[in-house]
Amino acid sequence: MRTSPKLWPRIEAVAVHLFLVGGLLYMSIPFLWMVGASLKKQSEIFRNPPTFIPDDLVFGNYISLFVEYDFLRHFLNSTFLAVVHTLLYLFFCSLAGYAFAKYEFRLKNLLFLLLLGSMMVPGYTLFVPLFVLAIRLKLVDSYIGVLLPGIVGAFGIFFMKQNMESVPDELLDASRIDGTTEFGAFWRVARPLAAPAMAVLAVLAFLTSWNDFVWPLVILRTRELQTLPVILAGMLGMYRMEYGVVMAGSFLSALPVLILFSSMQRNFVQGLTVGALRG
Amino acid sequence: MYTITQRQLRERLWYRYQRRLAPYLFISPFFILFVVFALGPLVAALYFSMIKWPGTGPMTFIGAANYLELFEDEIFLKSLGNTTYYAIGAVFVILPVALFLALLINAAVVRVKSVFRTAFILPLLTSTVAATIMFLLMFEHQYGLFNVALEAAGLDTLKWLDEELVKLSVLLVAAWRYTGLNMLYFLAGLQSIPTDVYEAAAVDGAGRWTTFWQITLPLLRPVSLFVVVVTIIGSFQFFAEPLLLAGGGPNNASLTIANYLYRVGFTFLRMGYASAVGYVLAVIIFILTLVQLKIFGASGRN
Repeated sequence: MRTSPKLWPRIEAVAVHLFLVGGLLYMSIPFLWMVGASLKKQSEIFRNPPTFIPDDLVFGNYISLFVEYDFLRHFLNSTFLAVVHTLLYLFFCSLAGYAFAKYEFRLKNLLFLLLLGSMMVPGYTLFVPLFVLAIRLKLVDSYIGVLLPGIVGAFGIFFMKQNMESVPDELLDASRIDGTTEFGAFWRVARPLAAPAMAVLAVLAFLTSWNDFVWPLVILRTRELQTLPVILAGMLGMYRMEYGVVMAGSFLSALPVLILFSSMQRNFVQGLTVGALRG
Repeated sequence: MYTITQRQLRERLWYRYQRRLAPYLFISPFFILFVVFALGPLVAALYFSMIKWPGTGPMTFIGAANYLELFEDEIFLKSLGNTTYYAIGAVFVILPVALFLALLINAAVVRVKSVFRTAFILPLLTSTVAATIMFLLMFEHQYGLFNVALEAAGLDTLKWLDEELVKLSVLLVAAWRYTGLNMLYFLAGLQSIPTDVYEAAAVDGAGRWTTFWQITLPLLRPVSLFVVVVTIIGSFQFFAEPLLLAGGGPNNASLTIANYLYRVGFTFLRMGYASAVGYVLAVIIFILTLVQLKIFGASGRN
């Protein structure tokens, strides 16, 4: 018996969707599980069969997160570092990206090659000397020490160069004829035109700082100064681990990035892939 | 009169100078930080890798001794093997799955593309630490979701965090976090391929399999190069997932090179030895990147 000509594409469409939904579940279940567990008592987290929606909804985990673990303090620490990092990173990367896109100068190609090459150097190789340097410069246990090595980066410059290339030279020249300085041309003409790309880079920069784990762990010695990921990781090593509290903390720490992302989802997905396409 | 012209002259000179100096000033923050926080430390790391130094007190120059010890250090060799395992898993499992998902989402039959795209990017936004904690709970032997699912399917439960399986479990966490991002890269590459290329192939009667191997894959080369290079560099710097999931254990079964470097340097306070580990890591990444550029470059000339 032959299958009807219309049946086969339909089976295929169903199979494709099934596969995708399977992937979707693998991606979303851990997240939903985390949210559920943050609203459960410890005894319900360890129950077989498991419950996704808590039988017994409790907010105790969130309360003890704020009362016992001083969550707000660490949340504000991370927010402060991420905001300052993002602003500085955007400023310095867009400025350098603009220079590489819009000027001809001596050694330009060589310097750009050096910049790309620097992306190959693994951070861990520099770990010990960087730590020694931080001690010598008295940067240990200070936010300047956390921020300074990362306020400008090769990826950000490369990303901004790609986007600054589309800024029309005529507009820049027009502002020069009006007597603005070179920085003025950048600030008043190029920067506003590159705003969409900068928004994407802002999310990426925020994400990098917000999720950074190793460098704050090494640089910050005082617990009060410490960032969220380090505090959360520290809760893992505790003698009697309160899973619900850790889940509540993990969820709350993911929340700002989720909100930031969903507010500019479309631009983000497009912008993220710029480097891959032109690289 | 005289003073005014001099002032005008000064202004004109300044204007001309700021024009010529501007690009150098604009790129200088990066290069200053690059010299202080990358190039300097890179040179220093080479020196550090040849000394014996417990973090304080005098440094003793010992030449290549650290490197010689490294190649007989069983834990280091194990971490090198583990890291290679993760890199191979990432390139040959995670990336093909990501490409496959991108092909599916790009297919005309799929509706609500944006829903899938968004869902697959969500894990990327969760911090490594939060993600690993979530999975730690799901790998739990008796109550974790993985074993509950196996039980429900009538299968034997597994010890996900035991020596035999721990590397696979780490890879599952990595797959959760990074498949979506790589899928997005591939998707962007697929969407940049002009549709008339496919139409021409269809006219020539090329099947789906032929089209994929003869057209899609070659045209995806720039994106693939980017994705593979980034994935390998990232895999060799894998740190947080194995550390938080299993502390690098049990019996160092999940330990990565970066984990070992951190342990040697900051737990055992052997700064010189840790720098040697770091240098070997840098050389490995450098060679692998060159090899890939060569492979992709060579096949690109056809």
